[in-house]
Parts: sequence; C-alpha cells; structure tokens
Amino acid sequence: MSVNAPPGDPCVTGGQAAVPLPPLSREDVARSRDRSRVHQARTANRRWYLLWLLVGPGILSMLGENDGPSMISYTTTGATYGVGFFLPFILITFAMAYVCQEMSMRIGAVTHRGYGQLVLQRYGRVWGWFAATDLLFTNLVTLIAEFVAIRIGLAYFHLGAGVAAVLGLALVVFTLAGGRYWRWERIVLGLAIFNGLFLVSALMVGPHWGTVGHAVLTFSPFPGGSFNELLLLVASTIGATVTPWMVFFQQSASADKGLTPRDLRQGRTDTVLGSVLAAVFGCGALLTGAALATHGGGHVQGLAGAGFPGALRALDGGGVGTVFALGLIEAGAVAVLTISASTAYAAGEAVGKASSFNSSVRGAILFYSANVAGALVAGAVILIPGAPLLSIALNANVLATVLLPVTLVFVIMLANDRQLMGRWVNSRLTNVLAGSIVAFVSVCGAAYGIDSFLRTVHLIHG
Amino acid sequence: MVDPELQTEPSDHEELIAFLERDQLTADRMRAVPRAPLGRRLQLALWALRVFVIIVSAMVIYTFFSQLG
Repeated sequence: MSVNAPPGDPCVTGGQAAVPLPPLSREDVARSRDRSRVHQARTANRRWYLLWLLVGPGILSMLGENDGPSMISYTTTGATYGVGFFLPFILITFAMAYVCQEMSMRIGAVTHRGYGQLVLQRYGRVWGWFAATDLLFTNLVTLIAEFVAIRIGLAYFHLGAGVAAVLGLALVVFTLAGGRYWRWERIVLGLAIFNGLFLVSALMVGPHWGTVGHAVLTFSPFPGGSFNELLLLVASTIGATVTPWMVFFQQSASADKGLTPRDLRQGRTDTVLGSVLAAVFGCGALLTGAALATHGGGHVQGLAGAGFPGALRALDGGGVGTVFALGLIEAGAVAVLTISASTAYAAGEAVGKASSFNSSVRGAILFYSANVAGALVAGAVILIPGAPLLSIALNANVLATVLLPVTLVFVIMLANDRQLMGRWVNSRLTNVLAGSIVAFVSVCGAAYGIDSFLRTVHLIHG
Repeated sequence: MVDPELQTEPSDHEELIAFLERDQLTADRMRAVPRAPLGRRLQLALWALRVFVIIVSAMVIYTFFSQLG
C-alpha cells in the first residue's frame, strides 16, 4: 500500500537491515508461519499446494452466502415457479458476486486492512459507523435466519430449537479455540463442502435435463403470478448472492490470512471457485424445490409450516428430505460461522482494536466477544415460540439487498483509490460492471420495498 | 493449549519478519491511513444514497411487521 510502503515490496529484503526490527505480536508470528509455507511452495514451484494454501476467503464467502435463507429462497423459487427464468438468473447473480468479491479480495491483499477500517479512516467516522451499523443490523437479522434454518433442518430429525441454538453456539466457540486464522478457515472449509448436499438432493429428485438446459439458454419460461411475489423472489435471490457481510468478510479475511499482491491470481481463482461451487449448489436447491412445483409448491407459507424437508419426504419416502435437511443444517452452521466472523471483524475495525483470528483472546477481546455475542443473541431469538420462520429468512435477504448499494459504492471507491491501491486499481471494465451492479441492485431492492409498502398501506392493490 | 509454532525466541524475529510485507505487521496495520478528500458532489451523492437506503429499509421493515400482524 503506497500510503506506507510501495505495494508488493516484501520486507524480506536485505535493504531493510538498517531499519530496527519492529516488535512482533502473536498475530504477526502466526501470519509469518503461514506465509513461510506460501513462500516455500512458491519457491519450489508447487502450484497446486500453493493454491491449496491460498484458497479460503473466496470459497468461504461464496459458500457462506449459500446460507439457510438463501437455500430456502432458491427452493421457494423452484417450488413456486419450477425450472425457468430463475435458474440462469442465479448464475448471473453469482457472476455479479464475483465482480464484487474480487474487488474486496484485491483491496484486502493490497492494503492488508479490512473494509470497515478503511472506510472509517479514509472517509471519516460518519461513513465508517454507518457501514458498521448497517452490517451489525443485517448480520443480526441474518444470523437469526441461519439459526432458523438449522432449526428447520433439525426438526426433520425431531430435534428442537434448543438443540439448534446450542449446536450453532458450540460451533462458534469450538472454531475460535486455537487462536489461528488457518485453523478456523480449514474447519469452516471442511464444513462448507457439505453445501454440495443440495446438488445431491437435486440429482435425487431427477430433474429433466432438457428442461434445465432450455431454461439456462433461454431464461424461460418467465414466471407469471403476483408481481409483488416475483419482486420479493428477485430481490431475495440477489440478496442470496451478494450481501454486505461478504464484502466485509472477504476483505478482512484476505488481510487476516496475509494475502499480498503476489497472491492476487490465486485469490481470483479462490473467488471463481467459490462462485462456481455456490452457483451449482444454489441451482441444486432450486431444482430440488422445482420437484415440488407440481405438488402444491406454490403455497409458500404452507411449505414453511410443514418445512421443505418434510414436503420433499413425501416425494420419495425420505431420502431427499434427509439430504435436504442435512444441507440446511450445514448451510445455517457455516453461515453462522462466517457471518459471526464478519461481525467480529467489523466491530474490531470500527473501534480500532485488534481484529484477527491470529490474536489471542486476551489480545482481541472485542473481536472474540463480538464473534460469540451475535450467535448468542440470534440463538436466543429462535427459542421464541411461533416465530415466522420463512418470512424472517426471505426478509433477511431483502434487507441485505436494500443496504447493499452503499457498501458496494464504498468498495468501488476504495478499489479506485490510487493512493491505497497503487497499480492494482480497478480496470475500466470492472468499474462499468460494478457500477451496473450497484444500479441493478438498487432498482430491485427499491422496487420490492416501495411496492410492498404501497400495498401494505393500501395505496395500490392487486 | 499452547501452539508450539507460536513459541519464538527474539533471535527468530528477523527470520519471521522476512516472510511478511512491512505493512502486514500489526503495528503498521493499526496506523491510520490518511483521510481522502471527498468532493462536495460526491458527498451529496453519498448522502442521497444513504437517505434512499434508509427510507427503503424502513419500508421493508414496516411491511415485514405489518404482515406479521
């Protein structure tokens, strides 16, 4: 980062011998150990091992966003409209997610700082605190929805809300133990791979591949039905793919992992890999839901009461329902971990305190407390009987869509800040794509928000 | 549980620092970056977007609670 030193200039140079050694924190030592492996892999030209060492933040942010509400949203879309417009639409939204997340990764790798920290320091406290407040609010709502998803999945196995709350919270505490970013990342990656259960469930319901191919190529059939419901599903599908927490998470995690400009190629591969996996698994959830379209799947609220896993059990006697229920538990659990991490990064960065998995609990008390506190509150909320499960899940995504444009505008500003980014500023093409995404997301979020509001206050009917 | 990888001697520090970029060190990361000047037009645009987002969020939240009722 040119504000302090020329980007990409390693410290490892004999030229710096005259400079007195700065004090090393525990965080520095842990990061240095991880970077030494990267250095050895690069020196030995072990490309696959190097990629293995450097992947993580991209896959985690993408599969983390294939969370409980998102998978419920995709399944609802499939159950309501069948295979059609929304299948290729999911692919487009993940291409949008790639554009946004690549910028976040690049900013993190070049500046070694999180999004919240940079917005606060570069553009002032007002914008920094707005960003942090947006994130903390949407994260809390989304975390509740994640616990809801775990609860729906566990209910299939006759386990109650208490088990869901304890399971989610125990996972957060367990992954935090050890005080290493690397350990946390690898545990969550290991869990996240089970997002593939949604692909398994799709294969089990046996979609008609000709229809799938036709939908992907032609964006048809275009969904009919209520305009407002369609807007809700469009907005929640966007919110299921690109959200403020992902931006916070990937930038901070890239910095915490210790990525540098030399790692940008692997960082991009990581982000592409995450996008492709998440898109395929998301489409899997939609195809699974589409199997319900001919079995009354349009009655979304009815399905919420019975639960999608239960509805799917009726199709084949239990196999699909079981896989889908396990997928929901995984989706909720991984998102609880990644969203809690983004909350913790944001909290630490907002007040200028240590925010790293490589710090000790004592050295980063706010970071660790925020990580656990969000999950604790969300876990407590789902114990309230009679909570409107599907409504919370879908609206969490819509709220994320509505708040997203502000986050993205600051990402674009940071990615174009030559003083921070040096020669790694956005290309013109990236700016055009990112600007179009901001416009599209703003219009979709606003259309749903305004239309729903006007219907609620009876200013429009239908 | 103590991670043996994190047990270091002062003599190791030079080698450890060698694997990090200078601005990756905690001490450097905690140092504030200078404030960027925001032009009047940009500030106005940011505030307009902020107000727009707050209004639409309020609508979504209102609708959500109305539907619960």
